[in-house]
Amino acid sequence: MRKVAVVGAGMTKFVRRALETPKELSFEATKAALDSCEMKLEDIECVAHGSAPDAFDGIHQKGEYLADGCGGWNKPTMRVFNGGATGVHAVCHGWYHVASGMFDTCLVVCEEKMSNAMPHAQGFFLTIFDHITERPLYPNLLWIFAMEMNRYMEAYGYTKEDMAIAGALIKNHALNHPAAQLTEKVTVEDILNSEPMAYPVYRLDVSPVSDGAVAVVLASEKVARRLTDKPVWIEGVGWNVDTSYWTNKDLYYPRYLEVAAKMAYDMAGIREPHKEINIAEPYDPFNYKALHHMEGLQLSPRGKTVELLRDGHFDLDGEIPMCPSGGLLGVGNPIAAAGTVKIAELFYQLRGEAGKRQVPGDPRLGVAHAWGDLMQASSVVVMGK
Amino acid sequence: MAFRERIEKNTGNIFRSSEEGKYFPVVSRYTAGVAGQKFLEEIKENEKIFGTRCSKCEITFVPAKLYCERCFARMEKEHWVDVGTRGTLYSYTVAYEEKDGSPKETPSIIGAIKLGDGLLFHWIKESSADDLEIGMEVDAVFKPKGERRGSLVDIDYFKPKK
Ligand SMILES: [Zn+2]
Repeated sequence: MRKVAVVGAGMTKFVRRALETPKELSFEATKAALDSCEMKLEDIECVAHGSAPDAFDGIHQKGEYLADGCGGWNKPTMRVFNGGATGVHAVCHGWYHVASGMFDTCLVVCEEKMSNAMPHAQGFFLTIFDHITERPLYPNLLWIFAMEMNRYMEAYGYTKEDMAIAGALIKNHALNHPAAQLTEKVTVEDILNSEPMAYPVYRLDVSPVSDGAVAVVLASEKVARRLTDKPVWIEGVGWNVDTSYWTNKDLYYPRYLEVAAKMAYDMAGIREPHKEINIAEPYDPFNYKALHHMEGLQLSPRGKTVELLRDGHFDLDGEIPMCPSGGLLGVGNPIAAAGTVKIAELFYQLRGEAGKRQVPGDPRLGVAHAWGDLMQASSVVVMGK
Repeated sequence: MAFRERIEKNTGNIFRSSEEGKYFPVVSRYTAGVAGQKFLEEIKENEKIFGTRCSKCEITFVPAKLYCERCFARMEKEHWVDVGTRGTLYSYTVAYEEKDGSPKETPSIIGAIKLGDGLLFHWIKESSADDLEIGMEVDAVFKPKGERRGSLVDIDYFKPKK
């Protein structure tokens, strides 16, 4: 396998409802990514595209539909989609296009427009449940998270306040992210006092609903060294699926992530991730999920995560800063694109270009993670300089 | 009000629980987009059909687009071109069956009408299929202004040039 670098990144602003069509959002992110590394579309050899369910855009085979907005005209273009895990998985997918030796350059573009669904996309999510064993209850996606959050807190004696501390930490990082949907500081009290949705999930425990797109440019070593003095290398990739019966999981430990992370760490030669990783971007659609995933990423011992959180271990100047981007909780959650924000964040952080969000101390190694599908898929990318 | 608030269509897929009568209320409300908004406004307000011309690639895209898909040039104001309301019939088909397979009382004609370098699919009326020839000129017939709502079907149909 050849070395693969990230050489450029770009994104749209994340908003509740964009005028732009999904194709136009994809174009804006792709154009920004190309401009960031002074490349033209003709320099790109292939496209790895990610977008979650077709239902959001109401176009079946929307990968092909969106391809031209992703720079895919007349190029080998493939879509990956595994729900929330798409945004990082698309980068794994782009990685092997280049690592294999087939291509020297690859655009990875992820887009989602959630606002097409009115009043909310929950109706589309109903179809991810089993016809026989779950759908007769007329389930709501939030139920899953509520069940997990409740069991997770119970397993380790964590409280809703603990979860809110994690939420406030992450959300407020987004105040310094130019693409962020969140515009005002959020306190722990704000989160605890927000409206209950499905106990124990309250409104501000959850990421907002967003429209947006993110793109990154991947290049082989030869091309990367010509383009930039600061390539950021993809050191390892991993992905995994757990049981598709979400009801068969213990709900408090993300095994799907442990396996995916191990695959990526092995490739990167990382033996002790909690000592070697300098920045973590765990998938955080809910505040508890960020902590849950820090455990799955082997960056925090099970049951000790809140203690570390309260000690400032995951602060921007802590041992392992958690979601310095502001995460899904703060930047926003256009499903497939939300994972790619994390890849872009590691790119900026490892180049020292993250502005007010910059993690101090010359970080060298970061990990980005996304999670989704039928709640059992994970994708992980380790990046280093 | 932007057209995006009017382009609203239930997909027809009702997302049901397997229990009788239980379903999620969801409609899909799509935006026309940055380019689509202006394209439809020109049809609605001015009876004009616009494309965008990429001078580098020498292509006029119809309907108008925000970007050239070939070179990724952004199509700014100066790239917008009025392609007129007369096109040429590039291809056509005559539909004899309804969607359920039953025979149509009156066959309908759908044309691929060349405008700029693009093709607009639309109904052909005021002509029998026998009178159509590929390459003939066809004119857009717009709905009366009061009935136009910022939609592709504000163009009622195309008809052979008289
Ligand atoms: Zn062009």
